[in-house]
Formats: sequence, structure tokens, C-alpha cells
Amino acid sequence: MYSVLTRVNAILTYTLSVLACLTFLCFLSTLTVDYRTTAQMNTVKVVVKNVPDYGASRERNDLGYLTFDLKTDLSNLFNWNVKQLFLYLTAEYVTPNNELNQVVLWDKIILRGENAVLDFKNMNTKYYFWDDGNGLKGHNNVTLTLSWNIIPNAGLLPNIQALGQHSFKFPVEYTQTRV
Amino acid sequence: MDIFTSIPTHIDYVGQAKAEKLYRAIITLFSIVGFIWGYIVQQFSQSVYILGAGFILAAILTLPPWPMYRRNPLNWQNPRNTDEKSSGKKGKK
Repeated sequence: MYSVLTRVNAILTYTLSVLACLTFLCFLSTLTVDYRTTAQMNTVKVVVKNVPDYGASRERNDLGYLTFDLKTDLSNLFNWNVKQLFLYLTAEYVTPNNELNQVVLWDKIILRGENAVLDFKNMNTKYYFWDDGNGLKGHNNVTLTLSWNIIPNAGLLPNIQALGQHSFKFPVEYTQTRV
Repeated sequence: MDIFTSIPTHIDYVGQAKAEKLYRAIITLFSIVGFIWGYIVQQFSQSVYILGAGFILAAILTLPPWPMYRRNPLNWQNPRNTDEKSSGKKGKK
């Protein structure tokens, strides 16, 4: 404290220590928040094709194609420790090849302050729904779930699954035409 | 450099203790207010801005040598007159 520079140093370090404490308290204040909420999903058009997967083995694999509806209100998930939400729609199913298949079909980033009331109709998927074989044709229990990853100012990065899911079937015949 | 060294920045010992208490009090107070306000409006950035305002206020109040930090100057002893003894050995220092 005996010179101006040591006073500057003392004030600055004290301010930054207090800021670290505030950030930690902010994290503690949102530790027990329940980030689950409901979401309604529905599939509109569901088609399965059998085409060569050049991205992997060049063998003919099953490619699912679907459009979906999604309705949910996520605005109450935002608090002072949520910077953005990363939404992703996952298809989950069981095949003889694998006990558990999870394919992310679509995702979306919602920043704080953006519209978080979602009502999508007949949306296309963003990513290809490839199976690693022929497990999709005639599959009668594929489950769509919506999840979100919460990106906070400080603290944990939880992955939350929405309450509500939708199960659908793939047709028993391959579609030959372009969709 | 003469310009910088000629600016008076000295505060006395009592003033140093006073300045330290003052900046701690100001920054702590602003952080508590900022935390509560940020929680009310659910904007952590508001808390950070209020803390920044506290930092600036504390800097204004404790960095310059305000008169309230210079009220207890040390009572130095008067310099001893040593001229008579060393008058014969001038130039040795």
C-alpha cells in the first residue's frame, strides 16, 4: 500500500477475487434447478431407402428419411447462469447388429434472449439417418427423443433429456424414387 | 521520468490502513449489491458491471493521496548537524 502501484495491484486483485467468488455463488445458486421440461414430437413422413454409403464402406446400407414436428417451450430454462442451449434430436433403436443405436438427426443452438418457444412443422432432418447395415427396413420401434446441453456462465454442462418421446415404424419396403 | 516522480503519491501509515479498509468495504459492498441485483434481473453481466463500478469508485477514492490519508505524518527527528566534524574531510564522500 505504500505506493500507487501497490495500491492499484491490491485493488485489482481484490476485485478479481471477489468476481471469482460471485461467479461461484452464481453457479451454486443454479445448482438445484430442474432443467427438464416437456416436448411433443411427431413424425410426418417416414421412408427408408437402400443406397450405397460412400462415406463408410460403399456397401448398400439403410438410409432413413423422415420429417418431423416438434413443439416445446424452453423459455423457462433460461436463468442467469445459462448462456445457450444446444438442442439435439436423437433416434434410438435396437438392431441385431447393435444393442443400442443412437443417431443425431437434427440440432439447434438457442442463445439467451432468442425465441425459445419452438413449434416446427414438417421439418427436414439436418443429418443423414444411416444405419450400419440393413436394420432400418421394417423396424417397428424407433424412438425419437429431444435432449439439450446447457452451456452455463460457470459450472456444470448437463445433458438433459426432454420429458416426452415419440416412437415410429419404418415401412417394410424400400423406396426407390427420390424423396 | 521527472514528470512522473514529481506527482505526489505518498500517503502516511495511518492513511494506508484507512485506504485498505475503504477499498475492501467499497468493493465488497458493490459485489453484494451486484449479486442481489443480478439475481433479481437474472443477468450475471449486471453483477459484473456493478462490481466494475465499485472498482472504479474504490480506485478514485484510494489511489490519489487525498488529504484524509495524510493527516498523521511521522515526526522525524531533526537532522543532526554533522558539518563541524566532517568539515575537514570534504570531498571524501
